[in-house]
Amino acid sequence: MSYLISGLNIKNIFEYNSAQTYQKYDIIDYQLNSGISVYPDYTGLGVTGLSYWFNNDYIKDFEVDGDNNISGWLNKQGDKNLTQIENEPQRPYVDFDVNYINFRGEKNLTGTGFALDQKTIFLCLNSSKPAADDVPQNILQISNPDDINDFGYLRLSGQNFRGSSKICIDDVKLNSVSPIYDATNILTLIQTTGSSGPYVDIEVRQNGYSIGNFYDVNSGWLSGFLKIGENQNESEGFRLHELFCFSGALNSTQIDYYEKYLFEKYFINNNFYYATQNVPANNFYAPITYTGKSYWTQDINDLFRLSYGCSANFSAKLSTLNFGDGYKSVLCRNINSLNASFDLKYEGLTDRQAKALITFFENSPETQAKSDYEGFKAVNLDLFSPFKTGAQVYFLDIDHATPYNDINNIYIKGESLYESVLDYKGMFVKLDEVNIRTYSNELLGFEKNDVVYFESPSFKSRGYYFYTGEPSSSNLSEEYSPTGASSLFTKNFYFKPDIDYGVKSSLRLITQDYKGSTKQFLKDGINYNILELDLVFSKRTNKEALAILKFLDDKAGFKTFRYTLPNPYNKSIDVYCPEWNYTYNFYDNNDISVKFIEYRGLAEIETVFDTVVTFVDFT
Amino acid sequence: MANFINYKNIDFQLNNQIFYANRVSVSAQASTEAVVLSDGSLLNYSPDGAVVGSLSCDFYLTGSVPSFLNITGTSESAVVGRFAEVNITGLYPKSISFSVDPFEPILISAEFDWYGSVNVENFKEQLYSYGRNKAIPSYIANAYKSYISTDNIFASEPQIGNVTNFSYMASCDRPSFFYADEKIPFRVAKMNKRCEVEISSNSLGELIDIQGKNAVTTIYLKDFYGTLLDSFPISGVLNNQNYEISEGQYMLSKASISQTVTEQKTLI
Repeated sequence: MSYLISGLNIKNIFEYNSAQTYQKYDIIDYQLNSGISVYPDYTGLGVTGLSYWFNNDYIKDFEVDGDNNISGWLNKQGDKNLTQIENEPQRPYVDFDVNYINFRGEKNLTGTGFALDQKTIFLCLNSSKPAADDVPQNILQISNPDDINDFGYLRLSGQNFRGSSKICIDDVKLNSVSPIYDATNILTLIQTTGSSGPYVDIEVRQNGYSIGNFYDVNSGWLSGFLKIGENQNESEGFRLHELFCFSGALNSTQIDYYEKYLFEKYFINNNFYYATQNVPANNFYAPITYTGKSYWTQDINDLFRLSYGCSANFSAKLSTLNFGDGYKSVLCRNINSLNASFDLKYEGLTDRQAKALITFFENSPETQAKSDYEGFKAVNLDLFSPFKTGAQVYFLDIDHATPYNDINNIYIKGESLYESVLDYKGMFVKLDEVNIRTYSNELLGFEKNDVVYFESPSFKSRGYYFYTGEPSSSNLSEEYSPTGASSLFTKNFYFKPDIDYGVKSSLRLITQDYKGSTKQFLKDGINYNILELDLVFSKRTNKEALAILKFLDDKAGFKTFRYTLPNPYNKSIDVYCPEWNYTYNFYDNNDISVKFIEYRGLAEIETVFDTVVTFVDFT
Repeated sequence: MANFINYKNIDFQLNNQIFYANRVSVSAQASTEAVVLSDGSLLNYSPDGAVVGSLSCDFYLTGSVPSFLNITGTSESAVVGRFAEVNITGLYPKSISFSVDPFEPILISAEFDWYGSVNVENFKEQLYSYGRNKAIPSYIANAYKSYISTDNIFASEPQIGNVTNFSYMASCDRPSFFYADEKIPFRVAKMNKRCEVEISSNSLGELIDIQGKNAVTTIYLKDFYGTLLDSFPISGVLNNQNYEISEGQYMLSKASISQTVTEQKTLI
């Protein structure tokens, strides 16, 4: 049992078994195969015949020049090494912080003395996509150094989808079962010779799955000259994690051992897979195959959708400088100053669905680390509308209730911390050109509470505007545009709270306390009437809720704006909104509550961020 | 001028089976609340939930009760109804009931929740030729041969008196679950499944205890000639006994047996 499984409070989760069928929402721990992993040089199972072995585990295995380019890659098993002595530009670079050697373009290493009539070669690599689709990439070349026409090639070709991506031995192409680009792959070549004549047969396996046999391949495969690299991919080439070879054709059990070794070492595999539909038995449906990818997922959005009742709470992390007389400066502490927490509701789940969701929650800290020095990645979550899809949310708490047999309601609390206030498209309510559009004179169709982004060279004119006019199916004339003379748009907070609102206010006073006697009150300079308002906007339509939330999202918790107080105040004041809450009750039924704090002494320059950077060529 | 529709010639169908109904009632309910703003103006009427429809019908039992009307079963699937030439696709049965009175034909009452859109404006009478070709049912359940088994109904008391009439009801709640942004539920589950039988008899044995009185019995519905159409077992507790007499009448005891229907969870 893997540590992933043993770390859960959920029973009956097993490693993937290709002989078994699975139901939708079943959970598996994919480990390539269910056998053990064995180091290539392990001899506890008998003499293995390890012939050569290259990887990037130790510095001592390399001879490098002054630029850390490899002149020699030392064989861990024997004295036949790979070198690049004479041609310095062809030397690949070694980065000791990573676990691969990058072969791009003309970079290559060669060696001789690797001739074996029968052999089993294991490679673990990750290739980038070549610039041109029809250019095959050389991975490995085994050939006769005295006869350039006597060669054997291992290549990748085609595009990165099923039916196009090919693994080639010489000029023969076999369909790959898994993506060949931008994915780690284990390739195993099992070379045997025929009983009569110098014919060579090669079976090719990709990620444990036999994709075919080549019969009568080029006799160069019997030769002793080995070249890695010199491919046609000038951009990124391929990353070779490890290469080792045994003399003789290993049996399938031995092959499974060594493939498992490579899998455990180089595959990022720290999450479960969840069945998105019923899965037939056959390792053709393993989660890393093209076919399996439509049966298995690690993405919560492929499995679950949020229910009504979800809510969001926003609070800005601010530093306040009080200048006296009620004046102050409110600064956001960093560009991620808005802290958003979400109460996510998944209701009406079956037991099988609930098991999958609880497992996903419990396993979420096992997500890949953001880097070697940071914590784990958040869950990539499609939030409820009007918030964005693909938000990065850390799952924190879970509340699981079962009101009846096979009915489960699961509530998850999550936080999202890293949205940048500098993004002019917004943090959680984005400029998506669907619900929020960029304004142009040709833009058609407007309804009250429509939000548009107005692009302008003037930063005071630029920004989000809210349509307050009558519905129109056509475009608007210049005078009605966001900056027109009779504009039908506003940048102010024009939304009206519920009729049952309340305003609490405290005078800013200084108290002098004459102990044991009495006390007297002094006004704290000027501006002693600073309002703090808690307003509620309940049961609003989806469109109005989107507009309110976009307005607040754009202000990011610290930017000030004009607000006209309700009756009997009716005065326009400057406020900022450091906290707001939102609940999506039902379609066209949204509750929003906000806290407005009055701000005195507004500077004339409005706070506007713009991430559009234009580079000008002065040459 | 409105067009009135005569029910006489209208078929009522569930999952493409004709039900010989003598009453069908369809209704829809929207829950809204006014939103009043701080300036005293009315913003709109806000929905509190989806439109929930209700359909109820009474039909003659002309065969066994179809499996999709098994209220206490595990299937949560929707039933497709058709009435007055209009389909109602999202019907979720939540109760069936009937009563058996001496020599009366037995009518089954069924209630459904429904969700989604129904083109009620298209209700119309069906073609006369269609109605004329309708098959005549071979069987109709009747109280004459139908009965409730009274042998060993209470383990401690082998026999009760003569049953004059009885009724049966199976029901459950159908909570609906919605994805955000949707107005039609993705699941209408079943919960609180229960059955209840009411019996009128001249004798019901000893008085109930604080735990009621365990009762196990089966109702057999037959047609007038004794052909068994369906049976309805119940294994519950008798928790209510009434003794009533009025001038010129016999004394009758009435009791109800109720059963909470459960199912064992499947280990996954």
